[in-house]
Amino acid sequence: MTALLTRVLRRRTLMKALLVLPAFSILRNLVPPTQTDETVEIDGWILKRSDLA
Amino acid sequence: MIFEGFEAYRRAGFSPRVAIIGAGPAGTTIARKLAQANIPVVVFEAGKDDYDEVSQGFYAGKVIGDPYFDLDVTRLRYQGGSSNHWAGWCRALDAVDFEPKPWVPDTGWPIRRDAIEPYLEETREILDLVPFKPDRPLSEDIRWVQLIKSPAVRFLEKYGAELAASPNIALVRDTYVSDLQGNGTQITGAHVWSNNAPHGVFHAPFFVVATGGLENSRLLLWSNQRANGGVVPQSEALGRYWMEHPHYQAGNAIIPKPEAFETDDVQEAFFSPSWAAMERAKILNFGIRLIEQPYHGVKGLISSLACSAPGTAEWAANEIDNNLRCAAQLHVAWEMAPVATNRIELSRTERDRAGVPRIELHWQKSEQERRTVLESMRLFGNTLARTDLGRVRLADWLRNNEAYPEDAELGGNHHMGGTRMGTDPAKSVVDADCKVHGMANLFVGGSSVFPTSGQANPTTTLVALACRLSEHLKALVA
Ligand SMILES: Cc1cc2nc3c(=O)[nH]c(=O)nc-3n(C[C@H](O)[C@H](O)[C@H](O)COP(=O)(O)OP(=O)(O)OC[C@H]3O[C@@H](n4cnc5c(N)ncnc54)[C@H](O)[C@@H]3O)c2cc1C
Repeated sequence: MTALLTRVLRRRTLMKALLVLPAFSILRNLVPPTQTDETVEIDGWILKRSDLA
Repeated sequence: MIFEGFEAYRRAGFSPRVAIIGAGPAGTTIARKLAQANIPVVVFEAGKDDYDEVSQGFYAGKVIGDPYFDLDVTRLRYQGGSSNHWAGWCRALDAVDFEPKPWVPDTGWPIRRDAIEPYLEETREILDLVPFKPDRPLSEDIRWVQLIKSPAVRFLEKYGAELAASPNIALVRDTYVSDLQGNGTQITGAHVWSNNAPHGVFHAPFFVVATGGLENSRLLLWSNQRANGGVVPQSEALGRYWMEHPHYQAGNAIIPKPEAFETDDVQEAFFSPSWAAMERAKILNFGIRLIEQPYHGVKGLISSLACSAPGTAEWAANEIDNNLRCAAQLHVAWEMAPVATNRIELSRTERDRAGVPRIELHWQKSEQERRTVLESMRLFGNTLARTDLGRVRLADWLRNNEAYPEDAELGGNHHMGGTRMGTDPAKSVVDADCKVHGMANLFVGGSSVFPTSGQANPTTTLVALACRLSEHLKALVA
């Protein structure tokens, strides 16, 4: 029970943090291609293209 | 035998075949090995058996160019040398580090890794290391590599009693070799400064300079200046091609499955590029150090990831719910390009108490190195993304092409080059046997002989080279 509660609380904190973030659609325009097709660099993150889907 | 000062040594009437200058890891190793072969050696050690401010003051100098540690802080001047405060991180240079990289000028050793391999077992014993595990590829570009954190052998503690007890070793402490004398084909003597005063000239059939990766250049530059070129007759490269392993935090990672990496007992793992990746990206070697962070480090990262890839952030968040070890700092240490302008010079104005000019260290990281850091993170980031082992975020300073952070570690306190090994005397100082070009009886021990630095901490390789040099000297002296 305690473990479940901790998980829920942790999750809430996380979701709160996510809510205050700027809209990500603006950033999408900034995606520069990297050396491979599969990955892209966005806002410093090295991501798979499918991460953006 | 141990003598506290040159006068006591002189009175003992010891007759050495080889004079070793410096009792750090290199000098101590060579002394032990020659003594075990019944070759009498004298070891001159500038410091005593403990740290003292006066001795340390001889190491002060000036740095010009990129920020660096104070030169009297980045090394120690007493028996055991910098092993008295080294961290004990060990790994020999990779086979690829000995090869010339066609895309980096002046790379390549005159020997290959197989020349030091016969000495690696012995080096492990000297440094108290467990056997190394083989590298494991994570992708075509990146391999997991092992860097062993040894118990940081202090050479004074571990070998002090052996040196004291050996009838073939005369260790003369508080005795500074201020310069060597030479006639252009051999060393004829050495000036010693002991117990704070000059003590005349000392003679021996063979000399090994093992005073550390900055001091080897200083001693030879000053000796050569005083002897009008009689110590290093071909001195174009002397003091030049100096190198460090610059070291910065270059990003972070989310690693939902940290158990996929083999971390050591302080939750760190190390990664290096394949030859093909270096060749394709035209970069130098590097080592990424992944340091697992506890849970609190991950929240900011997940938030930032959610800006760019909410789905992936959710995937990571889900995983994180079940796992407290899921974020990591990524630090990069890299191979510097060997560049002649990165150099040790003698100061024209500053001298130590014995009248020896102090060091002026000129060093500057290059554009190619900057690209190496960026590409290192990209190669690693692509590998983690493609294998779904995690996601990497580049540090802002790196992706925005800003200056290197000022609050960082700067480097590894690894002093390499200055008396580099090679076949061309215009670009090197010693040959493949660590013998100074053109000189019959002058050898150099330590990482100053490295023509390139690779990415691995230098002491494992320099101890292996010291074992190799000892074998060479044994044959020569006998
Ligand atoms: C903080 C720190 C952490 C480090 N961590 C690591 C690590 O984790 N892994 C690694 O591989 N390396 C590490 N190093 C580097 C390592 O300590 C050196 O590579 C190693 O000590 C070099 O050995 P050496 O014998 O060539 O020189 P030194 O250790 O510098 O020894 C030279 C000796 O010569 C003596 N001497 C100097 N000049 C003269 C003279 N003219 N006459 C007589 N004697 C003289 C000095 O007193 C000294 O005892 C670290 C260094 C520092 C400072």
